[in-house]
Amino acid sequence: MTAALHVRNVGWATRGAHIVQGVSLDVQPGEMLGLIGPNGSGKSTVLRLLSGILAPTTGEVLLAGQSLRALPRRALARQLAFVSQMADTQDAIDVWDAVELGRTPWLSALQPLSAEDGRIVRAALAAVGLEHKQRSAWSTLSGGERQRVHIARALAQQPGVLLLDEPTNHLDIHQQLSLMQLVRGLPITKVVALHDLNQALACDRLAVMRTGQLVAHGTPQQILTPALLQDVFKVQVSELVDPQDGALVLRFKPL
Amino acid sequence: MLRLILLSTAALAVLAVAILLGVAIGETRLSPTVVYQVLANQLAGAQYPVDPIDQGIVWNYRLARALVAASCGAGLAISGVILQSLLRNALAEPYLLGISAGASTGAVLVSVAGLGAGAISMTTGAFFGAVCAFALVALLAHAAGSGGLRNSAQIVLAGIAGSQLFNALTSLIITKSGSAEQARGIMFWLLGNLSGVRWGDTLLTAGVAVAGIAVCAWHARALDAFTFGSESAAALGVPVRRVQLVLLLVAALITAVMVSIVGAIGFVGLVIPHAARFMVGVRHRRLIPASALMGAVFLIAADVISRTLIPGQVLPIGVITALVGAPVFAGILLKGRGGRA
Amino acid sequence: MPIRRLAFSTLCAAMLAGAAFSASATEYPLQLHNCGHTLKFDKAPASVVTIGQAGTEMLYALGLGDKVAGTSLWFNAVQPRFKAVNDKVPRLADNDPSFESVIGKRPALVVSQFEWMVGKEGVVGTREQFHDLRIATYAMPSDCEGKNNLSGADGTRTAAYDVNALYKSVQQLAQIFDVEARGKALVDELRQRQAQAVAELKSSKLQNVSAALWFSSADLAIDPYMAGQKGVAGYMLQTLGLRNIVTSAEEWPTVGWETIAKANPSILIIARMDRRRFPADDYQKKLGFLKKDPVTQHMDAVKNNRIVIVDADALQGSIRMVDGMEQIAQAALRLQGAAR
Repeated sequence: MTAALHVRNVGWATRGAHIVQGVSLDVQPGEMLGLIGPNGSGKSTVLRLLSGILAPTTGEVLLAGQSLRALPRRALARQLAFVSQMADTQDAIDVWDAVELGRTPWLSALQPLSAEDGRIVRAALAAVGLEHKQRSAWSTLSGGERQRVHIARALAQQPGVLLLDEPTNHLDIHQQLSLMQLVRGLPITKVVALHDLNQALACDRLAVMRTGQLVAHGTPQQILTPALLQDVFKVQVSELVDPQDGALVLRFKPL
Repeated sequence: MLRLILLSTAALAVLAVAILLGVAIGETRLSPTVVYQVLANQLAGAQYPVDPIDQGIVWNYRLARALVAASCGAGLAISGVILQSLLRNALAEPYLLGISAGASTGAVLVSVAGLGAGAISMTTGAFFGAVCAFALVALLAHAAGSGGLRNSAQIVLAGIAGSQLFNALTSLIITKSGSAEQARGIMFWLLGNLSGVRWGDTLLTAGVAVAGIAVCAWHARALDAFTFGSESAAALGVPVRRVQLVLLLVAALITAVMVSIVGAIGFVGLVIPHAARFMVGVRHRRLIPASALMGAVFLIAADVISRTLIPGQVLPIGVITALVGAPVFAGILLKGRGGRA
Repeated sequence: MPIRRLAFSTLCAAMLAGAAFSASATEYPLQLHNCGHTLKFDKAPASVVTIGQAGTEMLYALGLGDKVAGTSLWFNAVQPRFKAVNDKVPRLADNDPSFESVIGKRPALVVSQFEWMVGKEGVVGTREQFHDLRIATYAMPSDCEGKNNLSGADGTRTAAYDVNALYKSVQQLAQIFDVEARGKALVDELRQRQAQAVAELKSSKLQNVSAALWFSSADLAIDPYMAGQKGVAGYMLQTLGLRNIVTSAEEWPTVGWETIAKANPSILIIARMDRRRFPADDYQKKLGFLKKDPVTQHMDAVKNNRIVIVDADALQGSIRMVDGMEQIAQAALRLQGAAR
């Protein structure tokens, strides 16, 4: 099975500083890959390199076998969608229009929206559960709803790969849970940068970043070992099992 | 499609009415019959006997001026739309890029410092001043951002720096070599002055305005994509750098041409986009034509008012746009809507 | 006996002459009121610096060229008859001089043509600044009487320009410098020439002649600077019996061509000057514009070539003003003659 995204020895430097270097990994189609690491480890940068927003200074990223550099932007935007951390606006845009923006890479400059496009937008809204708020103004939405609009917009792009940069930041706990559940349920390849290590448990695979380098990747069980957690995150961990459903839960203690 | 045709027709009708009013109302009283007869003579080949002075006033003075006012208003308004959308700043407006300040410096260099000894007109001087100032600001922003427009604050600050510099130069030239009479001539130009425009200017300004609107309309979808920032636009497949470059150049060029012909008329680029958003929403497909139309009508009205408010005296048009624009802006802010949450 | 009568008459004549001369000698200490200030002179000033061509040429006309230590603020070349004198006088600045350059000449008196040069908001300085240094200042009444220089770009005349302000300047300066006879002679000459110009026009029975005076414009097609009602140029038109179609009270208001064309004055007066700051400074360009502009070309004055050209320096409140009036009168008469 060819990798959805093939990252080959990718690095990014600016003003003489290497922010990211020597990152190589494969993102398997349909999986949810969690990108974890402490602050400043380069997670956001890696995500941007994967999305094509940043061009790597070394190495390359291949999307379904094609280098991102070679793909025209619109073609790229049709296969890959990126949701950044805090995309906000002061404009009085409504939910429908915000999601409709996702059709941009599919429409040429003067082409109006077709019925098919409308259907896709509606489907995206349904997927995130915001159909009833189609005409609500952006300013009236809660943080969680706003994130869901961003995800709906990304879905409207009909991508094969979805990249999310810490989507649950600044959200209430119930919003965090429902959002992650939503993301998990999407039938496309997902790469999610995460802060919360308990959320990381739900990913298919994890990639751990430290000071710009990939230090480990594998299943959560393989990765979230006490040794690694102590080394990278500087915490002690106890693994617990929830008696209700047998799920693994991590409890963290300072060193 | 039908809706589009109906809307376009309605818009053009509104514009035509505004232009007609601009032609009929002016410094001196001309009866509507005379105005009608002149227009009929010129446009429909009618043979009404009209005093040649009245004919010249209606056709060469007032009509040319109304068309230039419409073009300038439309041009400045869509420049404002471009800048507010690209820079994600509700207070952005064409003069932010230092263009107006540069134009003033160019104009005073010609008329007060005597550069060119009467061979170069103020308009030419103003245009080159505007272009120089913008080039300087762009270079400064580029250098500050180490090669990109990643942060719109850079260009705003660079524009402020450029404006301050060129405004200081203008003041220096005026105080150093200007008599009261010269300072007065410049003052009138610095606040906007449509009195010297003739048909040649009409062709230039109308051409630039129409071309500018066309380019903007082409980029309507791209401008929408900037709603959540330039990174978001890039993620949607918009060639961000290219779009920013093209549209900023267009805005700068429109502004430079307009300012060099009619002087610095403020508030149009700032207020009209807000008023338009208030009426038609934020989608650029509607916002751009709406802003253009509202800008055109606004400036025609301002020109008429500037000529008729005080009998026998013509006020600078920039005074009128400020006097009207400021309260309107305040009203929009207070109402809470107006395209900005 | 005849010799004695001759001697007696001669003596009388000499005494009379002496009396006449002594009667016109200034009595010092002299006290003058000038534009809101009281000036005191113990003797004729030893030296004077002028700011403004009108004051400069007035002093030259009074034969006081050797007392002028420095000149400034020139609008055009000095009158040819004063060239020799002027060449010996240092020019401090073509435009406004600095305060220090003026006091550097250590004058006893500064003569200022405009209040915006030396006055409450004076570019060179305030009158008090000079008085503090014991330098007297004389502000020419033409610019301060009946005029509010704090409003309007060139100041707004509250009362119409009065030529007596000009005569007053001559008389007061003559008094200050103890040359009253010369002053009187100059004033008489100006009065007589003006009266002659007016009389000639009156006798020609020009009826209902309206006029407009175009000074210059910031840009060729832009609203021009025209002579207003109450300024010096307006006074000239009025005295000559011409009706100024511009109704504004300002000295040089901007009036739209539309208004001027609709008013359709009988004659148009345009200014000729050496300055080339605005394209319209060149009177040839003014003529070209008038003939080509789609509105102005239909004006009666343009169609029938009733355009008078007058020197710009003759349009100020100075001794040249009467030159301007003579020029306008002559040209108007010629036009009238040509029309018949």
